[in-house]
Amino acid sequence: MTGWHVDDQMLRRYVERVDSVAEGASVEQHLLTCERCRSRVNSAAYAAVVDLGAVLDSTLAAVEVPRPSAFERLLRIAGLPPHEARMVAVASAFRGVWLVGVATVLAFAALAAKVGDAGGLWFFLGVAPIAPCLLVAFSYDRRWDPALEPELATPYPALRLVLLRTIAVLALALPVVLLLGLVVPGQTPLVWLLPAVGFVALVLAASTWVSPLNAAFTVSGAWLLVVGLVVRRTYSAGVVLEPRIQVAFLVLAVGSFCVFLARERHLSQLRPWR
Amino acid sequence: MDGPPSDAVLLLRVAERDVGAFRALYERHAGWLALRLARRCNDGELVADAVQDTFVAVWQKPRSFRGDGDVAAWLWGIAIRRLVSRLRRRSDVEAVFGRSETVPAAEDEVLLSVEYGDLGAALARLSPEMRAVVQAVVLDGLTAREAAQVLDVPVSNVKTRLYRAKAQLRAALAEGMS
Repeated sequence: MTGWHVDDQMLRRYVERVDSVAEGASVEQHLLTCERCRSRVNSAAYAAVVDLGAVLDSTLAAVEVPRPSAFERLLRIAGLPPHEARMVAVASAFRGVWLVGVATVLAFAALAAKVGDAGGLWFFLGVAPIAPCLLVAFSYDRRWDPALEPELATPYPALRLVLLRTIAVLALALPVVLLLGLVVPGQTPLVWLLPAVGFVALVLAASTWVSPLNAAFTVSGAWLLVVGLVVRRTYSAGVVLEPRIQVAFLVLAVGSFCVFLARERHLSQLRPWR
Repeated sequence: MDGPPSDAVLLLRVAERDVGAFRALYERHAGWLALRLARRCNDGELVADAVQDTFVAVWQKPRSFRGDGDVAAWLWGIAIRRLVSRLRRRSDVEAVFGRSETVPAAEDEVLLSVEYGDLGAALARLSPEMRAVVQAVVLDGLTAREAAQVLDVPVSNVKTRLYRAKAQLRAALAEGMS
């Protein structure tokens, strides 16, 4: 400290940029070492040449961006551009907890089926086909997904977003369902595939009228009801998994998807969902 | 009780990912940095970008401050370089080193000659080109190469001008002494 400080006149000239080269240079050299004069410059409100609050916000946004999740990095490797990978990955369905929860339920169902009694097999039959469609619904129902709100406010095709997320969900959920299907005795794992895909397509189609979650809950409830009724009547899992039923599921999947594409513009309106 | 934490302490906390310390550092330094940068570049948007770049760099590498000298000087070193690199990408905006248009009022001139003696007058007598080089290299601490980029002249040119400017200043000061 030299005891020399920028006086008020000099400060004013510096801030208003009407100083000379030598004076400006002196002020600047002094500011580097003098906290007191720095804060005087800072608080010269008329000195604000830029919106410092806004710059702070964008700086914080830039530094606080979390590292992309493993899933998001995977999507990028799969060829999605970064912003789309982010949009797909921020869906709540992809937060590990959800996936772990769904996988656990399925694992228990598979275990129950494995240890033997018919009830266990029916449990798996009831749960496995509806898990993917529930996950898809969670991945783009905005009640569950605050991230969706700003995404859809931006001019981004809703159809593309929904499809990208659906594909991502299926890529994650179907292997789980198929893998667990392997441990269920007596059936090939593939028989779960068509019902699962059919329900996903049905939920997508229905979501052009109602919210995805309502659609998924309705479909799931109906499926569980059907399974329950069949159980009471026949005690045989084979009925549901017969070829003609499988064909019916295939028709359901294709038909629903066509409906979904035909009514795609209703997606971009997305609200009002209650 | 000690006073508020020093800048160096804040930097250490930033290194531990303390957002509060980061904000505090920003509050202390963003203002004067922006003002000083704005004196080199008339484009407010570019200045804002440079300030943001600077603090992003601070967040990413707070430990590149070695603990010698003032944090403020270290920050300025980052800020001016960020501005230079932003300027390089924007050919439509010119840096303003060594403005020649501001002529101090007569009474200020008198004050100045009292305060700075002949150096102020000698600096003022330099040609705008030479003053720009002096300002970029001597006062802002850029290397000759960085100065060459921002002033858009060859490096050799910067060195020659700096050499001549120093000679001229020396001569002017010697003249004043005698």
